[in-house]
This record gives sequence, structure tokens and C-alpha cells, in this order.
Amino acid sequence: MNHSDESKALLDAAYEALKFVDDPEVGLNVVDLGLIYELDLHEEEKKISCLMTFTTEFCPMGESIQANVTEALKMTVPGYVPEVTVTFDPPWKQDMISEAGRAFLGGY
Amino acid sequence: MFGSPLGGNVARTTSHKVVIPFYAYGAVAFLVAAVLLLISNGAFTGHWFQPHLLAITHLMALGWATMIILGASHQLVPVLIENDLYSNKLAYTSFALAAAGIPLLVYGFFVFNLGWPAQLGGSLVVCAVLAFVANIAISISKSKRENVHAVFVFTATVWLLLTVLFGLALLFNFTTSVFTRNSVYYLTLHAHLGVVGWFLLLVLGVGSRLIPMFLISKYKNPPLLWSIFILVNTALILFGIFFLYHFATGLNYLPAALVFVALLLFAHYCRMAYVERIRKKVDDQMKVSLLAVALLLLPVLVLLALIAVLLVSAGQATNVVLLYGFTIFFGWLTAIILGMTFKTLPFIVWNKVYRHRAALGKMPSPKDLFSHPVYKAMGVAYLLGFVLFGAGILLAAPLLLKTGATVLLAAAVLYNWNVLKLLTHKPFRK
Repeated sequence: MNHSDESKALLDAAYEALKFVDDPEVGLNVVDLGLIYELDLHEEEKKISCLMTFTTEFCPMGESIQANVTEALKMTVPGYVPEVTVTFDPPWKQDMISEAGRAFLGGY
Repeated sequence: MFGSPLGGNVARTTSHKVVIPFYAYGAVAFLVAAVLLLISNGAFTGHWFQPHLLAITHLMALGWATMIILGASHQLVPVLIENDLYSNKLAYTSFALAAAGIPLLVYGFFVFNLGWPAQLGGSLVVCAVLAFVANIAISISKSKRENVHAVFVFTATVWLLLTVLFGLALLFNFTTSVFTRNSVYYLTLHAHLGVVGWFLLLVLGVGSRLIPMFLISKYKNPPLLWSIFILVNTALILFGIFFLYHFATGLNYLPAALVFVALLLFAHYCRMAYVERIRKKVDDQMKVSLLAVALLLLPVLVLLALIAVLLVSAGQATNVVLLYGFTIFFGWLTAIILGMTFKTLPFIVWNKVYRHRAALGKMPSPKDLFSHPVYKAMGVAYLLGFVLFGAGILLAAPLLLKTGATVLLAAAVLYNWNVLKLLTHKPFRK
């Protein structure tokens, strides 16, 4: 999707904001943990969509994490309605953790 | 690339209102059991069939271990079976019945009045277990996926039901003739149905899921877990047959050896999960839980020694019997609960307090909700108390027993202090 410079800046800001949302059990943010599959800005609909997952389908912290992601997007991209969708297709795998995330967890 | 979005249809977490009462009850039961251990430590130099020992054993087995496990199960079973818990009402019912029944049963044993208080208490416990089994069975039947962990959990609940039904029959057998022989004769079978069928299978089933999950490990090995499942259940069935049909004592080496092999395989499973973990920094709670896996092997080694002593002496091996029971209830079961309480309860409390406080900026993490110095002190006190009391049993040394019981009581106080700190946590101000 083509975005204006302003939208790109908003998306970058949204990604950065999500780095403040931690999985409380792991202590690592949802971006580096690999929970965020897609993040997109829909300028005409004034909507910011996020496709994400959890480390396990019946994650006891799932609701909290999803609420935190929604709140983070709402506060970072004012005027846009956050739409956070959870999917388990494909399921989360350890390989999805970023290099920074692996370094945080102790690395290999 | 990505399909089947669930939208807002995120799995429901079991309400904290269901789970927390079990944890609170278990903590108090542990404290009371530690007090009873201190005032009754003299009983550990005599025969194993004594009122105070029966009371402490049942308080540890039901009030402490089972209540905590029931509470945790209501939270964790949905994670294991990948489906919602069927009914919160059944969970409340289970708690209320067990909470009322356990003190009556324990009181009956303590004063050795096996009439109506104990019988009513035992009946209430059976009803509590029936409510739990129904809840788990319906939850699993509605699950779309089958997995080895769910089979462990369901089989364990069936063994629990058999254990409490048999226990209730033994209780009535004290006052009415239910069986051909006296109840004391059957206690070995009752105890092993509970310890191996309920506690061991459940711990193995839940642990095999949670340990790799908490370590963020890639390791998976369902065939190995199925082997463990078959070994443990075969051992239990063989033990039941040998017991009921009066086979030679020496044959009990076979089920004991099968359980020992199962535990070695489980230790290997945990080691592999640990080796292949991504999360290199392992917290204290996980360390205590992994210690509990090692402690699993201790009762089996004591059991193998016990069978040898029984074969040689052809009589009583009271101190080894007592040590065997102690290593189970105050050993691996207590160790795994001390570890897992602070791995699960902080998340339940965190979810209760912070789930609707989502905002940018740092919130306390679940591990910030309890005191880590107190946790470490509890761990040291527990290990010291366990070793001292265990040595006291083996050497029939009153001073060691009293000192060990005092230190274990200190561990129970510190555990309760941290649980209370968690349960009364108020949100941090920004």
C-alpha cells in the first residue's frame, strides 16, 4: 500500500509505540517477540489495522496484551480508529523473535 | 499470507474470582500443616499409622497440594486443551465443597473421631472432586484438538476420583464393614492411587507443557510423553493387581522401576527443553520448579530402598515409610508448588489489576508484585527444613525433627506473606 510521508511517519511512530507494549510473562515487547504480523494505515477510512498473534492460542495474558496494543495505537495515532485482529494462522514460533529480542532473552 | 483472523474473538481467560480462593486456601492449609508438623513432630519417631500423621498427610494432600492444583488447573487447563473452561459455577461449587469438607476430615483424623465429622468431610470432598472432574471432562470434550497434555490431565482427574471414592469407602470401613480387611491394610493402595495417579500424572502433564513454554523452548517430543504416560499408568495398574491379589512384595520392584524409568525420561525431556531454550535467564521460580523435577526422583529412590528393607527385615520399616511419605508431600509436591505459585499467581493478580489499565508507559510486570528477597529466604528455609526434618525421621532424632519443623514453619510463614502481598496488591500510581 502506498502511503504519504505523513502516514509513513505515523506508522513508524505506531511501531515504536508498540515496542513499549510488553508480553508481561516474557518481559519482551510485542514487536521484538514477533507477535505483530501486520500494521497498516487506511487513510480514507481513518483506521489503523494491526494483525497480531499470541505465543499460545489460549494465552492467559492475551486479552491484556491485545488491550495494550489497542491503547498504544489509539494514543500514538490520534484521529485513527485502531482495529486489532488476532490470528493463529500461522501460529507463533520462536523463530519469529527478532535479533534484538534474542539478545534481550540472552541470545544463543 | 495470513488467514483466519479471529477479530475480537480472543479466548476468554478463566476469571480470577474462580482461581484466587483456591490459592488463598492452599496457602493457609500449608501454614496450618506446618504448625501441626511442629506440635506433632514426636509422632515421626513412632508408627506411621497415627491420628496426627493422618491429619497432616490429608491436610498436605488435599488442603495444600490439591487445592493449589485445582486452582491452577482452572486457569491452565484452557491453555493445555486450547478451549475455554466449561463452567465457572462448577469451579465455585468444587471450591465451596472442598473448603468445607477438608477441615472436617482433617479434624476427624486429628482427634481420631472417624464418625460423622470425618465422614461428612470426606463426602463433601468426593462431591467437590465430582464437580471438578465433570468440569474438566466437559471442557476437554468440547475441545477441537487432542493433545497428550490434555490426556494426562483427564486421566489424572479420573485417578483422583477413584482415590477419593476409595478413601471415603475406607473411612466408612472404620465404623461399618465395607471391605473384608481393615482400612489400614488398604492405605498403601489408596496413597499410591493419589500420589502416582493424581499428583504425578498431573504434574507431568502440566509440567511438560509449561516448562518449555516458560523457557521459550523449541523442544517438543509427544512420542516421549506418550511413553511416559503409558509407563506410569501401567505401573499403577500393575501395583493395583499385585496388591489386591497378594503377589510377593519383591514384585513391587516392577511398578516402582517403571515409574523410575518414566521419571528419568521426564527429566530428560526437561533437560532437552532447558538446553534448547531461547530464554537464557531463568528466574528463581523456574529454578525451584526444575529442582522439584529432580526431587521427583527422591521418593522413588526411597521407595526402592523401602522395598529392599521390607524384603530383608520381613517386617516394619517405619522410619523409611515415614521418610517416603515426607519426601512426597513436603518434598517434590511442596517444591513444585512453591515454584509454580509465583509463576502463575502473579499473572492472575496482574490480569485482575492491570488488564483494563492499558496505556503507554511502563507498568509493573507480574514479577514485581511479590518480594523476591522474601521468596529467596523462603526457598532457603524450605530446603534447610526439608533436609533437617528428613534426617530427623531417618535417625529418629527429636532435636532434628523440632528444628526442621520450625524452619519449615518459617518457610510457610514467608510463603503466606508473599501470597498475601500478591492478593492485596493495589495498582501502582503513575
